[in-house]
Amino acid sequence: MKDQKERLRRTMMFVPGNNPAMVKDAGIFGADSIMFDLEDAVSMSEKDAARYLIYEALKTIDYGNSELVVRINGLDTPYYKSDIKAMVKAGVDVIRLPKVESAAMMEELEKLVAQAEEEFGIEVGTTNLMAAIESAKGVINAYEIAISSKRMIGIALSAEDYTTDMKTHRYPDGQELLYARNVILHAARAAGIAAFDTVFTNMDDEEGFYRETELIHQLGFDGKSLVNPRQVEMVNKVYEPTKKEILNAQGVIAAIAEAKRKGSGVISMNGQMVDRPVVLRAERVMRLATAANLVDEEGNYIEK
Amino acid sequence: MEIKKTAIAGTLESSDVQIMLSAGTNGFEFELESDVAKQFGDQIKETISNVLGMYDIKDAKIKVVDKGALDLVIKARAIAAVQRALDIVDAPKWEVL
Amino acid sequence: MDERIQDIYLSNKSAKDQWMNFLKKRGIGNFAENETKFIEQTIGIFADDGSLIATGSLANNVIKYVAVCDLGAQSKGARFNKIISELESRLALLDRFHYFVFTKPEYQLSFEYVGFRTLAATEFGVILEKGTPNITEYLAKIPRFDNGKVASIVMNANPFTNGHRYLVEKAAKENEHVYVFVVSQDSSLFKTSERFELVKKGTADLKNVTVVSGGDYMVSFVSFPSYFIKNADEIIKYQTMLDARIFKTQIIQPLRITSRYLGSEPLSHTTNLYNDALTQELSDKIDVVIVDRLQIDKEVVSATKVRRAIAENKINQCLEYIPKTTATYILENLEELQLRIKKGQKIDGN
Repeated sequence: MKDQKERLRRTMMFVPGNNPAMVKDAGIFGADSIMFDLEDAVSMSEKDAARYLIYEALKTIDYGNSELVVRINGLDTPYYKSDIKAMVKAGVDVIRLPKVESAAMMEELEKLVAQAEEEFGIEVGTTNLMAAIESAKGVINAYEIAISSKRMIGIALSAEDYTTDMKTHRYPDGQELLYARNVILHAARAAGIAAFDTVFTNMDDEEGFYRETELIHQLGFDGKSLVNPRQVEMVNKVYEPTKKEILNAQGVIAAIAEAKRKGSGVISMNGQMVDRPVVLRAERVMRLATAANLVDEEGNYIEK
Repeated sequence: MEIKKTAIAGTLESSDVQIMLSAGTNGFEFELESDVAKQFGDQIKETISNVLGMYDIKDAKIKVVDKGALDLVIKARAIAAVQRALDIVDAPKWEVL
Repeated sequence: MDERIQDIYLSNKSAKDQWMNFLKKRGIGNFAENETKFIEQTIGIFADDGSLIATGSLANNVIKYVAVCDLGAQSKGARFNKIISELESRLALLDRFHYFVFTKPEYQLSFEYVGFRTLAATEFGVILEKGTPNITEYLAKIPRFDNGKVASIVMNANPFTNGHRYLVEKAAKENEHVYVFVVSQDSSLFKTSERFELVKKGTADLKNVTVVSGGDYMVSFVSFPSYFIKNADEIIKYQTMLDARIFKTQIIQPLRITSRYLGSEPLSHTTNLYNDALTQELSDKIDVVIVDRLQIDKEVVSATKVRRAIAENKINQCLEYIPKTTATYILENLEELQLRIKKGQKIDGN
């Protein structure tokens, strides 16, 4: 599932799992990933109802190119197994497990997902997984979690529970998250999967939201979890590549094409060998540029 | 199947539908409150009836308050209501989904 | 954005103050103990700055103290619908699927819009119901009579006395059929099931009398919530009028009732007001017959006196007030009844 791993994931928009109006409209905001939440956004008495609502929505509604993610209830809850079955049957792209602290938790999830795939006649391995890390232990074990399964597409920091576990709370400057962000990012990069930053909940603090998004962009995160559709555009703006980056990426892409044409296994540009990370970055910049409508169909930069 | 207990599912919020199911003796007895009852009343009833049929329920009193729900929402709420009414929330009938 | 429902704990003073202030601002200012003491759950929606913007409460099968501020809401009514929905879910968790709202007339439509049905309306307040079994289902279970004059009597019968019997006999003589509705509310010395049985047994020989439970529709009018009314005189007017109108708009026509019999109540001011309200409300539709209370040796026969005799262990002094069926029951269950009184059951009400 190479393309699953390489796709853009700038924005992962949370949608409360028992709210039909928001479930219905989730596709219109252009989020790269839509995460339907069966966990915290749903009260205990409505867990079953939310599960069927999301099931029917996944089966019925066309969410375009968005990657569809469902946050299921934790494995210590009575809803866990039914959530897995229903979401696998619905054909969700990614199951997100909350409060992950070890590879063993992901392995158990994978086992159940595989069972469900078999039960419903779905090719085993179809459903991708991701983990939310919400505790000190989870951060410490981030790498083993990140490599726990071939199905893993990413790991995410969930700061609300994490800061509580750390005996602190969230501050505007984000110092309290510095270590966790870096550990999660490194684990993700080493494992070759995506890293998602946590949500920013104060809707009135636009400046703070930009500050935080610029920080995680600078660190190297793939993107950010969002609670409000308005934030999609704001994140995308931060993730827009510069003209210089695009032109440089186009150079790399041209060099690849040139090497292919010549039948050469070695890509060179400006007399230097172009190695794999540079190629990957160039491809990513072009995906970002395309998503931001900064290049035309042929890949030419559009002057603003 | 017999309805074991009265159950309710769904909400009164926009785009949702609230369905209350209770035991009946005389087929499906609907009470429907909806702004669009004239245009979509029959369709709403049909969707719910189909779900009840999948669970082999023959008699039920069904009280519906529709707030402009899509068909998929009506179906999802009907499934939740039926499973609650049959007391099988923890052991859903997967083949019905 | 998804506005989330939160619990409000009225046992917390600052939470209660905030709740009361919000309600007062929205014209609900009656927090008398009889209105608030049965509240089981209170929920609210709070704005980001912590201010309350919507609330509602549950007390038994009644939704009350609902107030909503629409300022900044996604759409008008969105918060109201959310509050009512959540209260209904919570009622369902308590296995309550039939519930009532007593509210100001201006909110009648809002409640109807979410599936409530108006049972009766007055200028001071309205009563609506939702769920199952509703009034239609209640009435469907009562036998119907297609011809002749059909009288009705509503009684608490705590317990059934010769006074009650006298009223029923008179109605039975003057009509083809008589419905006796027994108030079904467990707040009396004799439990609902006991009162019902004693009425049945005490009228078993009267072939044209049908004893039925008053269900949720014939209750003690003083129990009607009136938290949205400030003026005490208006409260009693609203309660009696509402009770009369439920009977008038919901009960009379389906059961083809042609008259209602009432016992006169020279000593109780409240009951007098109630009889007045019934006369005023029902007279244009059916006959209201007020029957003087039965007297024995110039003493009015009353259930209160029977209860006092039980409390004082002087049953023999009240035997002439009650039919044999009631006397037998009391004698067989005297200890239990006296125990209830000892445990605090009041006997001076009705």
